Amino acid sequence: MSRREDEYGFVRANALSLAFGGLFLATLVGQALSGVAEVNSQQVVDGLEPVSLLEYVTSSSFGVDVMENWQSEYLQFFLYIFATVWLVQRGSSESKELGTEGTESDEEQKVGRHADEDSPSWARAGGLRTALFSRSLGLLMGALFLLTWGASSVAGWAAFNSEQLAERQDAVSWLGYLGEADFWNRSFQNWQSEMLAVGSMAIFSVYLRQRGSPESKPVGAGHHATGQTG
Amino acid sequence: MVFGRTGAAVAVLAAGVLLLAGCASADAPEVGEVASRFEDPAGDPGERCGLLAPATSAAFEEDVSAACVDAVQDLPLGGGSVESVEVWGGNAQVRLTGDTVFLTETTAGWRVTSAGCTPRAEAPYDCEVDGP
Repeated sequence: MSRREDEYGFVRANALSLAFGGLFLATLVGQALSGVAEVNSQQVVDGLEPVSLLEYVTSSSFGVDVMENWQSEYLQFFLYIFATVWLVQRGSSESKELGTEGTESDEEQKVGRHADEDSPSWARAGGLRTALFSRSLGLLMGALFLLTWGASSVAGWAAFNSEQLAERQDAVSWLGYLGEADFWNRSFQNWQSEMLAVGSMAIFSVYLRQRGSPESKPVGAGHHATGQTG
Repeated sequence: MVFGRTGAAVAVLAAGVLLLAGCASADAPEVGEVASRFEDPAGDPGERCGLLAPATSAAFEEDVSAACVDAVQDLPLGGGSVESVEVWGGNAQVRLTGDTVFLTETTAGWRVTSAGCTPRAEAPYDCEVDGP
């Protein structure tokens, strides 16, 4: 039985984002604790002093480990948002129905004169504002990807150079770092897992179900039924 | 506005690059001074040995089978004036006119981890005095 929406307090109405916000913070703390332990075990091997947790979480080493993961998540969402406009997967809950590829009509999208009283003002406004608002989700994900990829390149460059000097080798410039295997290895190892996740979800949701989840088709929906959620 | 926010974000990123460079150069004078004092053949042996990182000092004494203060004056170090300093995280490299020195940051300040270092193309520098 579903509750009436006005019976929902702040926490129940925002449970999904609060839960994942909490999980994010908990796992970030876990990364910091396990990361400083790993660094200090290497410091002992090198005959150097251990670093404190505060020194570690303000270091470029921790910074690159966090940023390289964030950039691949935003790349995944950016590509996923755009790909699902143009590409379909028959039977998947992650896909639009076959035959609806593309940006669809203004009427279907409730844009301009087809907007209703609930539509955001920029959907109704027309011109540049509507054009930008119509692409705002992809644009933001793309911008966040570029920003976090850039941040991971800067943090990675600093961490790489610190390692270079510790190993009695020369430091490199930022442009030099963009040509290093370390930068591309970090990028590709993160990207491959994101592409795997999206691809897996697209195909698994054709044949498998999770009752009650909007990420799944209804349990009794046929395997060829596309674009339905449970 | 998305583009305004993106422009601001790019500016923050550029500032981050400059900040990293700036933070590194704040330590450069101290790093250069430690390297120069260690390399000075006329310096007090006890003081010079005190500028070595503990692990490097122990490794050096084991290598030469003598106390650091007795052996440090015989080291073939080129020395000279500081040409450039690179500081990244807790590690540093100083290029002197006659030598290259690597250092690490300890609770007691910057200390030499390797000295008398010659480059070897893609491989690490080959150093007269080195850590474990």
